[in-house]
Amino acid sequence: MIEVPAITAVMRTLADPTRRAVFERIVGSDEITVVELTRGSGVTQGAISQHLKSLKLAGLVAERPQGRKVYYRAEPEGLAPLVDWMDHYALFWRDRFANLRTLLREIDP
Amino acid sequence: MNDAAVMAGSREIIVDEVFPHTLDVIWKTLTTPATMGRWIKMAPTGFEPKVGARFTYQTTPAGEWNGVIQCQVLEVIPNERLVYAWKGGHEGNVGYGSRLDTVVTFTLAAVENGTRLRLVHSGFMLPRNETAFKGMSEGWKGVIQRIDAVSSEQD
Repeated sequence: MIEVPAITAVMRTLADPTRRAVFERIVGSDEITVVELTRGSGVTQGAISQHLKSLKLAGLVAERPQGRKVYYRAEPEGLAPLVDWMDHYALFWRDRFANLRTLLREIDP
Repeated sequence: MNDAAVMAGSREIIVDEVFPHTLDVIWKTLTTPATMGRWIKMAPTGFEPKVGARFTYQTTPAGEWNGVIQCQVLEVIPNERLVYAWKGGHEGNVGYGSRLDTVVTFTLAAVENGTRLRLVHSGFMLPRNETAFKGMSEGWKGVIQRIDAVSSEQD
């Protein structure tokens, strides 16, 4: 259920300009690591990790550990409390096309 | 390529990309329930690639809406076109979770380096499905638009 606290959590999370910049870079990448996110960000890796933690808690970002690396990707549904159907599906289908591309690579290499 | 086209009273989402796979492979991925669930990230219940078939997707509920998307297959031309109705939401909601009566169309075409897949999700009515931002600052709209722009650049 979409309730006010969820909206507040998402808004609070994205209110920080650095964190928002981190989120936008994740949205703009298929998947990205902390090291890549830190590069050129002007802040420390520790700070980026903290931002990632907040984004994860708000449901905006998901992680996928692989070996010693952790890959982060955007969870467009996390923005659901803030957006309308049209925005929701614009992000949804773009994200799903990326999934489709990955899946096709797996089943038809 | 992604566009939001404006039509009289209704808008649509278009995503159009080329995949390095054959028509046949793409068609199977779009019309086999197991693979549909793997890329749409919602498993369809009751899907069959037959005109008239009714099926559902379960997504995040909102307010009085249980989150069930009611679909019905409207057109099937193997390796070419799949069209289905996509309905959900509730009158009591605004923005996400509001009444939704839309149509999803997948069109496939063989191209030199694979298959061109075009998705058109149409029927978003204005102002009914319009923004849930009422009362929020314009700044927040800007955030979403920028996110949208950033991700478009990557396509």
